[in-house]
Amino acid sequence: MISHYLQRNGIPTTTISLIREHTEYARQPRALWVPFPLGRPFGVADDPDFQRDVLRSALRLLETATEPTIEDYPHDAPDGGGDGVWSCSIQLPEPELSDLEDALRSEVDLLTPWYEEARRRRGRTTVGISGAQPEEIDKVVSFIVAIAEGSGFKEIPVSAQGPKWNHPFPMLVRFVVEDLRAFYQEAVTSQEGTKPPSQHDMHSWIFDKTALGRAIIQIGHQIAADDEQRLKMIRGLIVPEGFWKGGVSWGQAPPGEERINFIIRSRAYLAGEEG
Amino acid sequence: MVRLSDLHPEEAAGMLAAASRFGDIDHEATPWITPPPLAESTICLVTSAALHRRDDVPFRFGDSGYRLIPDDIEPNDLVQSQVSVNFDRTHYQRDMNVVLPIDRLHELHEAGEIGGVSTMHFSVQGASPNAKTFEASAADMANRMRELGVDAAMLAPV
Repeated sequence: MISHYLQRNGIPTTTISLIREHTEYARQPRALWVPFPLGRPFGVADDPDFQRDVLRSALRLLETATEPTIEDYPHDAPDGGGDGVWSCSIQLPEPELSDLEDALRSEVDLLTPWYEEARRRRGRTTVGISGAQPEEIDKVVSFIVAIAEGSGFKEIPVSAQGPKWNHPFPMLVRFVVEDLRAFYQEAVTSQEGTKPPSQHDMHSWIFDKTALGRAIIQIGHQIAADDEQRLKMIRGLIVPEGFWKGGVSWGQAPPGEERINFIIRSRAYLAGEEG
Repeated sequence: MVRLSDLHPEEAAGMLAAASRFGDIDHEATPWITPPPLAESTICLVTSAALHRRDDVPFRFGDSGYRLIPDDIEPNDLVQSQVSVNFDRTHYQRDMNVVLPIDRLHELHEAGEIGGVSTMHFSVQGASPNAKTFEASAADMANRMRELGVDAAMLAPV
């Protein structure tokens, strides 16, 4: 949609398309459909030649297309999408064997040197979207444990006071979870020469093998027990579809209401803008 | 990957519900316009990954505004307030260029393939329940692009 609006305002556009059906509906002026996983519009990390070829192919449409065009990029991602290329080489304790907070803190302690190594080598971290600094990861853990154990979805848990949390409830829960997930992901993909896993393999590891997965699912159960139907959408933003054993992760629209209308109606609540 | 049939059925249903709204736009109202030859064109990036600087205002759910990303941003200054859990982040965590190929644009410029790289790039939050809400902010983005000397925009979703 943005490409239409930019062109109407005088800026020519070309776009990467990840979901072909979206582009067929949207009919952007110029689109290069790429057969890569969601989240990877330029193909694969750490492969400048491949990324440059994708970028060049999309830009060339600015010269070659003479009418609305969807061109198919002819190459798959060099890692084939990443299924089955990765296994975690860091030994973690069995996630179910101890109290949730102990289990989670043990994992975080074990992963911290790997996380720091990844941060040093990459010169960056993506942890921090919740507002907590990477150095405040212990407060991120406290937050998640408190929510998982039933502190509710309206107030910052007492044990998690300190960081300058950057989002209102209930969406804050989603971003705190994302920060700890980013910490885990950056840690376990830190080793040089290894390929990162596909999104599905990464989620499978988190939900099958870690106390983080156990904590996220426990938050999902707290959401299920809450009377607020719109809160279920937060579960869909922390537990990917297919990983919530109790059915549909995001909870679905009430009977008789269209999905998109339910989401639009719930927007202000989710964004924390409702009284 | 990725066609809707590759996705979990619930995820695909959500994607389709969003896509069906794209048909509401009057495609005929979009003029066909072309930039100067690429070798003379200054290019900016527009990502829908909800990237922004650490100290910038985070995107809220359904936020139809945009954030500016300086071309010389330190990668550690980039964070991502995209709400969806249904896309890969591990590649982006390793290399921002897989989502925001600033370094690749500069290589194309150095090779003479494009005329220049904008000093600012643009970020929006995709996965909006109502894409039409972007109409006003896209008009504002276009004005900013003109002020920056941008000839064409390279858009990329996640």
